[in-house]
Amino acid sequence: MTATIIMPQLGETVAEGKILAWFKSVGDQIREGENLFEVETDKVTVDVQAIVSGRLSEIRVSAGEVAKIGDVVALVGPAVAAVDVRSAPTGVMRQPAWRAAFEEVSTPIGKFGPAKGPDGVRITPLARRLIAQAGLDLDRLAQDARRRGSNRVVEADVRAALAQETAPAPPAPASLSTTAAPPQRSAQSGGAVVSLNAVRLKTGERLAENWRNIPHVFQAIEVDFTSIDRARRKHKDAFQQAHGFSLTYLPFIARATCLALQAFPNVNARFDGKALTLSRETHLGIAVDLSHNGLVVPVVRDAGDLALVGLAKAMRRQIEKARAGKLTPDDLAGGTYSISNNGAFGTSFTAPIINAPQVAILSTDAIKLKPAIVSTSEGDFIAARMMGVIGQSFDHRAFDGAYSAAFLSRLKQILEDRNWGDELDGEQ
Amino acid sequence: MESGKIAAVGSEPVGNDDIGLERRLELFRLQVEIRDCEKRAYDLFLQNLIKGTSHLSLGQEAVAAGFGVAMRKGDKSFCTYRGHAHTLARGASMEGMLGELMLRDIGLMRGKGGSMHLTSVEHDVLGSYAIIGAHLPIACGSAWRAQYLGEKDVSVCFFGDGATNIGAFHEALNFAAIWKLPVVFVCENNLYMEYTPISEVTAVKHPAADRAASYGLESIVIDGNDADEVYRTAYAALAKARDGGGPSIIECLTYRHSGHSRADPAKYRPPGELEEWLKRDPLIIYRQRLKEFGVADDAISAIESESKRKVEAATAACKAAPQAPVDLLTADVYADGGWAWRN
Amino acid sequence: MAELTYRDAVARGIAQEMERDDRVVFLGEDIGKAGGVFKATVGLYEKFGPLRVRDTPISEQAILGAAMGAAMTGLRPIAELMFADFLAVCFDYVANEMSKLRYMTNGQLSCPLVVRTGNGGGVRFGAQHSQSIENWTMMIPGVKVVAPSSPVDVIGLMAAAVRDPDPVIFHEHKALYATKGEVPDGEIVDVLGIAKILRPGSDCTIAALGLMAPRALEAAGVLAREHKIDAEVIDVRSLVPLDTQTILGSIAKTGRLFTVEENPRLCGWGAEIASIAADEAFWDLDGPIVRITTPHIPLPAADHLEDLALPSAARIVEKVCRVLNG
Repeated sequence: MTATIIMPQLGETVAEGKILAWFKSVGDQIREGENLFEVETDKVTVDVQAIVSGRLSEIRVSAGEVAKIGDVVALVGPAVAAVDVRSAPTGVMRQPAWRAAFEEVSTPIGKFGPAKGPDGVRITPLARRLIAQAGLDLDRLAQDARRRGSNRVVEADVRAALAQETAPAPPAPASLSTTAAPPQRSAQSGGAVVSLNAVRLKTGERLAENWRNIPHVFQAIEVDFTSIDRARRKHKDAFQQAHGFSLTYLPFIARATCLALQAFPNVNARFDGKALTLSRETHLGIAVDLSHNGLVVPVVRDAGDLALVGLAKAMRRQIEKARAGKLTPDDLAGGTYSISNNGAFGTSFTAPIINAPQVAILSTDAIKLKPAIVSTSEGDFIAARMMGVIGQSFDHRAFDGAYSAAFLSRLKQILEDRNWGDELDGEQ
Repeated sequence: MESGKIAAVGSEPVGNDDIGLERRLELFRLQVEIRDCEKRAYDLFLQNLIKGTSHLSLGQEAVAAGFGVAMRKGDKSFCTYRGHAHTLARGASMEGMLGELMLRDIGLMRGKGGSMHLTSVEHDVLGSYAIIGAHLPIACGSAWRAQYLGEKDVSVCFFGDGATNIGAFHEALNFAAIWKLPVVFVCENNLYMEYTPISEVTAVKHPAADRAASYGLESIVIDGNDADEVYRTAYAALAKARDGGGPSIIECLTYRHSGHSRADPAKYRPPGELEEWLKRDPLIIYRQRLKEFGVADDAISAIESESKRKVEAATAACKAAPQAPVDLLTADVYADGGWAWRN
Repeated sequence: MAELTYRDAVARGIAQEMERDDRVVFLGEDIGKAGGVFKATVGLYEKFGPLRVRDTPISEQAILGAAMGAAMTGLRPIAELMFADFLAVCFDYVANEMSKLRYMTNGQLSCPLVVRTGNGGGVRFGAQHSQSIENWTMMIPGVKVVAPSSPVDVIGLMAAAVRDPDPVIFHEHKALYATKGEVPDGEIVDVLGIAKILRPGSDCTIAALGLMAPRALEAAGVLAREHKIDAEVIDVRSLVPLDTQTILGSIAKTGRLFTVEENPRLCGWGAEIASIAADEAFWDLDGPIVRITTPHIPLPAADHLEDLALPSAARIVEKVCRVLNG
């Protein structure tokens, strides 16, 4: 008697899940209640237990694949007489081509606060990361540890502190213990002092240095995103189905940027103060704001070789790695051009700071319906169009305003005139 | 010439020419080209264009040529780090060989193996091995495969006198004998195990031939500087193996003109020894042999000039050749072309 | 489905591959007519005959060298080294020959062979016949290394090893030959480079290999029942290629790593995993990485001493508790 294992319902609005890993292989005995596979949805990652016992006879949806809720992902039951298996593949060992000879192990970057707290308290690496990512007060956690008679802050302590934070805060007592002087009082102005963590301080230093050294000039151009919006809305659902995340404007802008850079190589270059080194490849940096952990610009390598969908996926991967604190030095190195996406809060335009040694950075802001003049054969009319401003901060030592303007103009033309539907149709 | 009957040391061909003029010219051409190519390797080393080390076969050309002509396409050669001559004798190009010594992209292995590991599967040279004795059992394995699959090729394993005292030598001979494998073991006895006279470190006079009886094999010692003798002996041993008659071990007496490797000036040789052997230079012997068989002087010089021309062309090509691209560093560790040990 | 001993699984795995492919041949000492000194290859000689199953003299260098020569020229040999300790006698072939052949020849030559060997201790054979040496093979670039802990894995990984075009060192465990496990009917083919999570958990990750895998699992049971510690147990199975993703993923979940290694302390396989974890998973670690190993000594023959030397389930429980609760 064969039983089916289906993709379970994982949340009200969840339509599908991606299987990350199978804990059992075809041929294994499974017991009811045992963890069978791990699923990722856009909300959560969970382990799914077996609801029957028996022999796992077939896996229909493999690790890395997506299935809709209710789809059959595996079969349990009596074996098919002989499993028809071709020569086994030589393992899963396709090391990505870019793993360099001297980067066999990927050291993560990220400094998440000190290992030593006040008063000789040690903080575990995991606890440090969680404290930094949540913006908790390390000093207070260290004091709490000391009060407990411990000299360590571990994950459990941080989780407990986080749980307290989300609970409604009790009214502050008139005076706390004598040793805990709250750091929030400034003697002079009476305003709160917010100290920045090491990561934010470091990021700030870098931004200040770039601002000081590079003569920034900002230029902007208005772009009509209506045709992109149309293509986006037409393919939105299919894209979400196929790839598990939603298609925003950013991949379109990134793709158009890569195409425009082909015609304006001086923009895709590095400047060392004396010479401009053009780059054959486009390695596109995507600025990601990590709030408590500063600004990082993970790079999508060879972005110029990727078409729209591939580029969207690659960008998404890097952004997620950035948010999870899993970027490695390889991810941050080698960028030739960057994009800063600031549209979330409806701003019109932003002049970003260039990421040296690059010579320019693109900024995009809110894209919304605005009145615009549309020329037709019957005359000029006012119409509601999706409009947005694309800006570029550039290093005036590397090239001048005319060159930058020509680049932006080219970019606008690609965004407005390219047949985006073809790119999306082709790849789905 | 009866199969199985090996010519004794020093005998002359009787009556009809069993070898034939075409083969003789081939034997001469190979010896000349090996000589010229190895001499060029010597020069290139002095110019620091060949790096690391190089083990030259100067003086030992007749063994390589004799077997090179006797072996068929499909017969497999396994040699030691002194393998340049054997690689050329199976037909590998001079650019491939010199290029490999010069560690350039044009080399047989694109510079990844170097002088001691010359390999050209295309020419049935299945590796040159730097660990002494290691390839004798490997040659047995190749012979076992031929026997198992009913294939008719013979595996030939070349090694020096020094190898006869290492464990793997004895294991391989016993193995080949008990399974009656189609393998021929060829010992090039050039009288010196690296820097020490072989007689000082071996319990018996003929390091290979005197061990043969321990494995139920015939004791065979020949003049390794006479290409005809080598050819006849090789032919007989190959035929025996091909017919299912099992392995042979052949000790070829010869001498190397240079040191053990480029680093060795060979001061350990007794005075006069080198001069004596130079009189028995395989090229001198074979030039004379060709004349005896009526080959004209200008035919002989034509072969010699063509050889020099080929060496010049190969040298020029190698000097102009780039080094291999750096992505070769991590290529071909595993069958998928990569080197991944983890995911 | 049937219950099979680990030793019968060896014979079955080899037979499965020899049936499938005529080029698979098998050589070693006393493996044919005698069925192997551990009786792990019983029946193969009768089934496949003396041309495919060959008894050899005591000549480890010839056994590995011949396997290599045969593999280079078209066969798919399986060679046995009776005791893993004997690898030291013919180490040249693993360290210098089969592992480097492809690289040095720029891909011209291949070496698709399997060296299977009786590894490990716990059977009172004394210092020279009890060593756990999978780490000796792990450290040579160019070979692949597996160590199955259950009968089904023996068959599946043997199949994967034979079909793999690279040289694979297959470490069977002598103390596991008599153990039993469920094995499905039909052909079983696994994949090299994949670790198995024997028991999912959330408090710590315990990575183990060979004989240590069932011991780690046993320890995890005790940890859960008596100490409320929920350990995730990983059978690493394949040292090269190494399934770092499963191990690192587990550490991301649990924050704590223990390894259980039968090899003596210095340069054991777990040292490499600990190093990778301390690097890539640094920000996931909530405490020190701890290796539980045999001490750095030769192994004694006396049973009570040998049992003390190899990590036992009790020692694993004690160490994990002490470290996690301390």
